[in-house]
Amino acid sequence: MSKAISDINKVRNIGISAHIDSGKTTLTERILFYTKRIHKVHEVRGKDGVGATMDSMELERERGITIASAATHCTWQDHHVNIIDTPGHVDFTIEVERSLRVLDGAVLVLCAVAGVQSQSITVDRQMRRYNVPRIAFVNKCDRTGANPARVCDQLREKLKHNSVMMQIPIGLEHDHQGVVDLVTMKGFIFEGETGEEIKEIPIPANLQAEAEARREQLLDTVSMYHDGLMEAMLEDRVTEEMVRAAVRKATISRDITPVFMGSAYKNKGVQLLLNSVIEYLPNPTEVTNQAVRLVDEKEEHFDVRVVPDAPLLSLAFKLEVSPYGQLTYLRVYQGSLSKGDFIVNQRSRDKVKVGRLVRMHADSMEDIESTSAGDIVALFGVDCASGDTFTDGHVQASMTAIHVPEPVVSLAIKPASQKAQDNMSKALQRFTKEDPTFRTGTDEETGDTLISGMGELHLEVYVERMKREYNAEVQVGRPRVAYRETMTKKVPFDYTHKKQTGGSGQYGRIIGELSPTESGDFEFVNKVVGGNIPTEYIGSVEKGFRSCVDRGEFYGFPVAGLQVLLQDGAAHSVDSSDNAFQAAARGAFREYYVQGAPTVLEPIMKVAVEGPSEFQGDIMGTIMKRRGIILGTTEEDGFTRIEGDVPLSEMFGYATVLRSATQGKAEFTMEFSRYGIAPSEVCEELRKVWLEKRAAKK
Amino acid sequence: MYQKEVNRRSPLRVFERSIHGGLGPGNIGLVMSRAGVGKTAFLIGVALDDLMRGRKVLHVNTEDTAEKVREFYDEVFHDLAEANELSDKNAVHLTVERNRMIHTFLGDTFSMERLQGALGYMREFMDFAPAAVILDGYPKWDTATDEQMEELKELAGKLKCELWLSSLIHRDGEEVDDRGIPQRIARLEKHISVMLRLRPTEDHVRLELVKDHENQDLADLHIELDPRSLLLAWR
Repeated sequence: MSKAISDINKVRNIGISAHIDSGKTTLTERILFYTKRIHKVHEVRGKDGVGATMDSMELERERGITIASAATHCTWQDHHVNIIDTPGHVDFTIEVERSLRVLDGAVLVLCAVAGVQSQSITVDRQMRRYNVPRIAFVNKCDRTGANPARVCDQLREKLKHNSVMMQIPIGLEHDHQGVVDLVTMKGFIFEGETGEEIKEIPIPANLQAEAEARREQLLDTVSMYHDGLMEAMLEDRVTEEMVRAAVRKATISRDITPVFMGSAYKNKGVQLLLNSVIEYLPNPTEVTNQAVRLVDEKEEHFDVRVVPDAPLLSLAFKLEVSPYGQLTYLRVYQGSLSKGDFIVNQRSRDKVKVGRLVRMHADSMEDIESTSAGDIVALFGVDCASGDTFTDGHVQASMTAIHVPEPVVSLAIKPASQKAQDNMSKALQRFTKEDPTFRTGTDEETGDTLISGMGELHLEVYVERMKREYNAEVQVGRPRVAYRETMTKKVPFDYTHKKQTGGSGQYGRIIGELSPTESGDFEFVNKVVGGNIPTEYIGSVEKGFRSCVDRGEFYGFPVAGLQVLLQDGAAHSVDSSDNAFQAAARGAFREYYVQGAPTVLEPIMKVAVEGPSEFQGDIMGTIMKRRGIILGTTEEDGFTRIEGDVPLSEMFGYATVLRSATQGKAEFTMEFSRYGIAPSEVCEELRKVWLEKRAAKK
Repeated sequence: MYQKEVNRRSPLRVFERSIHGGLGPGNIGLVMSRAGVGKTAFLIGVALDDLMRGRKVLHVNTEDTAEKVREFYDEVFHDLAEANELSDKNAVHLTVERNRMIHTFLGDTFSMERLQGALGYMREFMDFAPAAVILDGYPKWDTATDEQMEELKELAGKLKCELWLSSLIHRDGEEVDDRGIPQRIARLEKHISVMLRLRPTEDHVRLELVKDHENQDLADLHIELDPRSLLLAWR
């Protein structure tokens, strides 16, 4: 068994983040090969039928994409590297964001031919949100049309990175042999069947001038990040150490993005990229992570201390079912953790014993005795949800909450058999624990199970996983949009609830105002003076109104942004009760809410479509037909990127439409943007549906 | 304040009166300044004034991504809404977005053919015909020709739109005429109907009228650009 990592400075927690087709999985596979974690290389969509090792899910293998993030450990040059594999598709953003939360740096993989594509832009925005330092790897330099210098320019233009080339290619397309390193000013070519023989050569004569010019650019960009470098440049005594120190500093402060290149598939440049991960990306002590604690009922953020002898603070960022049982991936932020320790889940207050502590390799695992701040490990048999914080029980704090968006689309599912029913329940229980954006519920009208999430594809993947992993065949209904309804104007109310038939009576009168709020939340404001409503019943009124917002009266959707202002009222010494005031609130809502000109709010998605410029018009057409607003068009190098806001309800089946409109040459991404007021014809239609449904019930 | 009020009280009304009714459809306007003084901010101010009145504007740019330009608009709009305490800000913003197209040509991909092509798509697929076109970054004044200017004039005439261009004035060492206008721009003056210059003084930027159609008697505009909020204001 191995020991805990003794030197935190020798740990790198990195993500590999990219567009689906830029060869991320192949790159990861090669990294694991060179670090001796696997002994054979496969192709992603391999003819050998094995597939890349990081793609642990069968579904991913079939589609050739990576959906779930798994953390895998390897060593390079005496350093421990934990690779968190991040999914590329935007419908799984929660997976991406959760992995971004635990990594300290990332390799942004770009295709040398396609360059910066729409998904790279979305993923880049997420990385920016989590302040992740990056280095870029321009892959596929062996492909026809490869142009790493242009990709470096695109990083600058499209993503606003201060990108700087650290290498230039030796040969491109089918001539691609290796790279010139601009720090050492030496050439490196890769030989042998799997590129494991790295040969150092002098810079080829035809590249000398370009190498010198690019090195100048490199030095100019980073000179201000090293005290002596500028001076050394003037005196022509620049050392490799100076350049490396300057690049490292500027990368960690996220001022520059150094650009490396090669071809993972053809085994070129991967080892040099690994060197750069060690050289330029931060170790866990060089980044700041914050936790939250409650001080006098107020949230207070504080920096964690990346030292082994502080109290334990760790985050469960990923759950996985493995053949050996449930696996919980944990990032230790502070303190240390050993086998046999007791740890406390800060959400459930459960105390659990750490039975087995393991380090996960691509397809195997290694038992370890202990671990400490900065490391990523996995635990066995711990019951918890993704995003839970574990401490030693003495610290009352939580790692900063991960931003979790509300689901915007739902789907009714019906099991095909009794057996499928049982399996489906098991699957749903698991999925909701793994993914906080995936929720389940019941359709009140039909009794069907409802699953909700961030997009059509998001839900489709779970339906397929149910089938494959849990053998639960289900029938799927049409996707439904998570509409909301809201008042658009203020309505004063004065409502009396009175009942005097037999037994003790009921009496409660409330006076006030219902109005829409900007924030979209429910607000209750009590302005009752003089005890006209006894204090103990104020809460009853609030409770009564709160119970109404789950379903609006006008369209049958949850009510967003309702403010209740309670100003006055009346009570009866005998007949008033908690129940009477709750009933008064419900009555007031029923009667007055509909007078507030309720309207429907629909989820609006930010959609970005990218394709060859000749399809510009066709792409615009598909957006306009969907009640979309085009926000901007960017043309470059024969490609056009069109960004727009489109209501989610219009986006179902868009992939098919776009494919046929552009001969399959365009692709799109979408992300939830905001809730917007639906046009009146949509409101009327939805009102009709709700009225019919209500009539049918009666 | 309501949207109409904001339009009615805009310093741009003064500007329009000063130049006898505005730039006018089919005409070319030009704003000049040194780098970083606020050409783009001024052009966005002009565009927003049109957009808030429900007029359609196409903003063409050759340097920043469409997203970046949109952020710039949002910033100026936000400041404008704050300064005027605009009611129903969200609805007005939606009007602005519905009426605006931003089209960026990155990495030397701009050409008149491409612009015409994009305009064609907009007309055909979106029923979009701009009342004003902002063209930031073309022509390149060092090398611009009479033919290029005629092409632009023809485009403005065909679209019946106001066409706004911008130009950088270099710091020094440039050949200028007696009004301080660089020779490389003055030589093409006959194609341009209205010329404006943004001149930075100690703590504000003044908008100066350099050419007003055929009028010899140039009005003092009394308008300045606040370098902090980038909004236009009366002096």
